[in-house]
Amino acid sequence: MRVTKFFNRNRMLIVLFGIVVLIALIGFSLTDRDSTTKAEQFTGDSVAVTQKAVNAPFGFIGNIFSDIIGSFSALEENEKLKEQLDMLPQLQADNERLAEENESLRESLDVSSNMDYETINASVISRSPDQWLDSFTIDKGEKDGIEEGMAVSTSEGLIGIVTRVNGNSSFIEMISTNASQNNMSVEVRHDGEAVYGNIRNFDTENNALVVENIKSQVKLETGDEVYTSGLTGAFPEGIVIGTVVEVENDEYGLSQNAHVQMNSDLNDVDTVFVLKRDPESLED
Amino acid sequence: MQMIVIFIAGIVLMYLDMSFTGFSPVMMFGVEVYFVPKLLFMYILLLTIYAGPRISMFFAVLFGIMLDVYIGSLYGIHIFGFIAFVIFMQTAFRVFYRDFVAMAFVVLLNTFLFDLYQYAVYSVLDLISMPIFDYVALRAVPSVMINALFFVVLYVLAVQTAKVRKEFRRTN
Repeated sequence: MRVTKFFNRNRMLIVLFGIVVLIALIGFSLTDRDSTTKAEQFTGDSVAVTQKAVNAPFGFIGNIFSDIIGSFSALEENEKLKEQLDMLPQLQADNERLAEENESLRESLDVSSNMDYETINASVISRSPDQWLDSFTIDKGEKDGIEEGMAVSTSEGLIGIVTRVNGNSSFIEMISTNASQNNMSVEVRHDGEAVYGNIRNFDTENNALVVENIKSQVKLETGDEVYTSGLTGAFPEGIVIGTVVEVENDEYGLSQNAHVQMNSDLNDVDTVFVLKRDPESLED
Repeated sequence: MQMIVIFIAGIVLMYLDMSFTGFSPVMMFGVEVYFVPKLLFMYILLLTIYAGPRISMFFAVLFGIMLDVYIGSLYGIHIFGFIAFVIFMQTAFRVFYRDFVAMAFVVLLNTFLFDLYQYAVYSVLDLISMPIFDYVALRAVPSVMINALFFVVLYVLAVQTAKVRKEFRRTN
């Protein structure tokens, strides 16, 4: 009973104090930080562990069902994959030859490429339940070499940025969240020519990224591919983001804005790759 | 004993909330319709009535911190919301008569207000851009409907978990 009385008397004060703390916390979380505190790591990790424990039985049942359903279409799929596999040795050989050639040419030029990166495979363990800001948690963390600011992509294209790293899990914000982009620099290729621009926001009505400040000299068209430019933080260059679906001039007619449809499906993220840029190219 | 049971129930509900993002948003007639269940939130509200404000406040703080650090882009939004609505729930039940219909009405109203509060905070900070009409039609109304469905199950769960302590005491 003492508790209820306490709330009665000081309820107004508590709520006001709470609002002040809330605003302070919001300010704290909106600042750009390049490391995650130990307390955050501990809480994040312990929740991730319980999450995985609850996940296990559900996942087990889910797997049985998907195995049964999957076995029906397996034969057909097998056939299709075999056809694709026939082409593989040739492609692989080409790829190796080109990589070698590239390497030797680069050595003679003595430059390090910011296109080099290593990938860390991770799977998504949870999505944000309030469905406001698109964010999710993956099952790899500091121990696997993940750091804040790394790019995260699916097999189709770029999807997000690592914002917090715990010991065994990390928190990813999608690039469709307006908090995460921070004027990220991108490169649009039109007929072999590259022009740069930066992401302004994500247009939720059309489900497209808005890229602004693109020079007007190169007239963009729908269907042009958009890549990361390698000029933002620890992002490697040349990771595909999406394709241009609409081009318009900005309000002063000085530059162009492009609406970019992202390649990766934002609602269905299962496994992701964290891209670790070659540290040599980051030194300068 | 009761604390452990409630904690496990809370974790499972949090997991169900998160796994629901696998289905939602649903494409209906070319528009995305969001169904946002708030099972954990409703459970904590029901505990205020059935297990007492002290216990419910403890879990509001615990799960608030967990959610904020685990999946929150803005710290404090869950913990503040949970605590504020538990206090609100207490106040509301000085006015309403405690029966099933009144309970359902107040809890569902609270889920709506909680989502509205998140919408307000995120819009003010320019993190989301959803017109108010779209919000009501495509998000608020479907969410309240899905929460109403789950409410019946949660009502039983909350009453059962609140009984745990009593039975435990009787055996002692």
